[in-house]
Amino acid sequence: MRAMFHDWPGLALKSFYWLFVLYLFLPLSLMVAVSFKDASFISFPLGNLTIDWYAKVIQDKQFLDACLYTIMIAAATTAIATVIGVWIAMLIGSLRGATQYVAFAIACLPAVVPGMISAISLRIFITTIDLPTGTVAIILGHVVHAVPFVVVMVLTRLRSMPGNLVDAARDLGADSTVTFFRVTLPYLGPAIFGGMIFCLLLSSDDFVRTFFLGGYRPTLPMLIFARVQSGMSPEINVMATLVLVVTAVVGLYAEYLTRRSRIR
Amino acid sequence: MEPVVQFENVRKSFGSFVAVDNLNLNIERGKFVTLLGPSGCGKSTTLRMLGGFETPTEGRILLSGRDVTMVPPNRRNVNIVFQDYALFPHMTVAKNIAFGLELKGVDQKQIQRRVSELLELVQLQEFASRLPSELSGGQRQRVALMRALAPDPDVLLLDEPLSALDAKLRQTMQIELKAIQEQTGKTFMFVTHDQEEALTMSDTIVVMNNGRIEQMGDPASLYKRPGSAFVATFLGETNLLRSDVVGTDAGEAAVRWNGMTIKASAGALSPKAGDAIYVVLRPEAIQCSAGEPGVANRVKGRIRQRVFKGNHTSLKVEIGEGHLLNALVHPSEVEGLSLDDIWVGWSAEATTLIPSRNAS
Repeated sequence: MRAMFHDWPGLALKSFYWLFVLYLFLPLSLMVAVSFKDASFISFPLGNLTIDWYAKVIQDKQFLDACLYTIMIAAATTAIATVIGVWIAMLIGSLRGATQYVAFAIACLPAVVPGMISAISLRIFITTIDLPTGTVAIILGHVVHAVPFVVVMVLTRLRSMPGNLVDAARDLGADSTVTFFRVTLPYLGPAIFGGMIFCLLLSSDDFVRTFFLGGYRPTLPMLIFARVQSGMSPEINVMATLVLVVTAVVGLYAEYLTRRSRIR
Repeated sequence: MEPVVQFENVRKSFGSFVAVDNLNLNIERGKFVTLLGPSGCGKSTTLRMLGGFETPTEGRILLSGRDVTMVPPNRRNVNIVFQDYALFPHMTVAKNIAFGLELKGVDQKQIQRRVSELLELVQLQEFASRLPSELSGGQRQRVALMRALAPDPDVLLLDEPLSALDAKLRQTMQIELKAIQEQTGKTFMFVTHDQEEALTMSDTIVVMNNGRIEQMGDPASLYKRPGSAFVATFLGETNLLRSDVVGTDAGEAAVRWNGMTIKASAGALSPKAGDAIYVVLRPEAIQCSAGEPGVANRVKGRIRQRVFKGNHTSLKVEIGEGHLLNALVHPSEVEGLSLDDIWVGWSAEATTLIPSRNAS
């Protein structure tokens, strides 16, 4: 006991960590708890618990459609952003000196431009080229935003790749295409996978760009936003809880997979 | 027989730095040839040019009689064992070895047979489905070697492949490499800065310095008859005695060093009286005794340092005022000797002369 108090910096470090965890999880747990409340308004104490709200949400056609639409957009965004991102990372990886830094800075720009600015400029852009708002416009906006994350993750892995792996493949008779698909791409695998998960989460979570570029069919964040405006109810808590669970599971699973491949 | 590799007047420069200069080298089929030299001497550049990873600035490289100077690495029949192995981390041992064969379009049945044959050669059969990260350093080394041998190259290039291993394993691998080379009858071109590796394994050693070939030959004659001070000091330990020729007689020369006259075999040189010259005297050629020895060269000296090393004793013997000779003797030779009054001696054949203009 005395030893514990002597180590007060360590103790402070631990306490702050747990305070942070509390700060992180308290609002989330509250939200989850209320989703089981047996009343149509949000208040405490919870009283009787029910899963009626879940049953109701799962049968909600609008909710299901928004989910499907979100997943569809996320999948398309991921596919396109991954190809472009890997491509750009390979290009930057082959550059030398100042050109490399400039190319890298430009590739990263969309990740740091404020969402609102990016959304407005894209909206003006699609109007200028007569592209209607809707699915294509949303995917366009999401891809621009997602590419830098793929680039950074893939480039980091690419830089850790021993240079002579490519030499070895060439030496054993592979031309540059075969070398890319059989040696470089598998080596980048974990980073590409991580980047894809990131794309999925970024796209399905995006509100601002979707809001400016979307048509009448709402994605999940837009649906929740619309519902919140017409008043809070445990139904919203249920939707939010479902989103939380799904993203947490996907995120943790991705982390587990990349960790496993890193060990190899 | 036609040499398997021919370098013809090859020169390679990077900007103003000349890495390899006017290189002419023929390598005979089935030999273990070592390029030996300090770092920056051009040995690795030479190997990379043969592998196809560098293009010569001037000159030609012939592989089995075919001009491959401009042929990319994937279309020339040589394979490299890289310094840190460069095994594909996501492929199993068997897949790594099969890689080159698959690209050659060999059918699966034959690939399997060849892979298991090669794994057997290095006793790694049980490791076929392991990943490289699950192997020890020595095992990775063997896999890298087998991967490079699998496509049956005209020449196997080895780029300091033992430098990542610890001393004991390195010695084992030297013997193993030589055995594999003899078993397969392949031409090995080995690059190293380690003279011990070169002496242990090679049929021919090519000593390189400053982008040029300093001397080449079999290990024993290079060691016994170095042609320059660089080769003499780079290959093994040596005493280099700066001397002046005083007379010659039937392949022997008498030289003056430190007030004494030394008789030395002239070797290929024909020195004249008055020439400045280096005498190469290997430490193990020196003998020590209490009484005057019956050899051509003998002188009194004092033992300044004695280090017992188990199977031999290393001595620093002072001759005259401040001239030290390094000697390696059997421990029993110096037992009971008085440190301040001993005889050292060596025969005329144990020495070689080197013209002093080669000394730097």
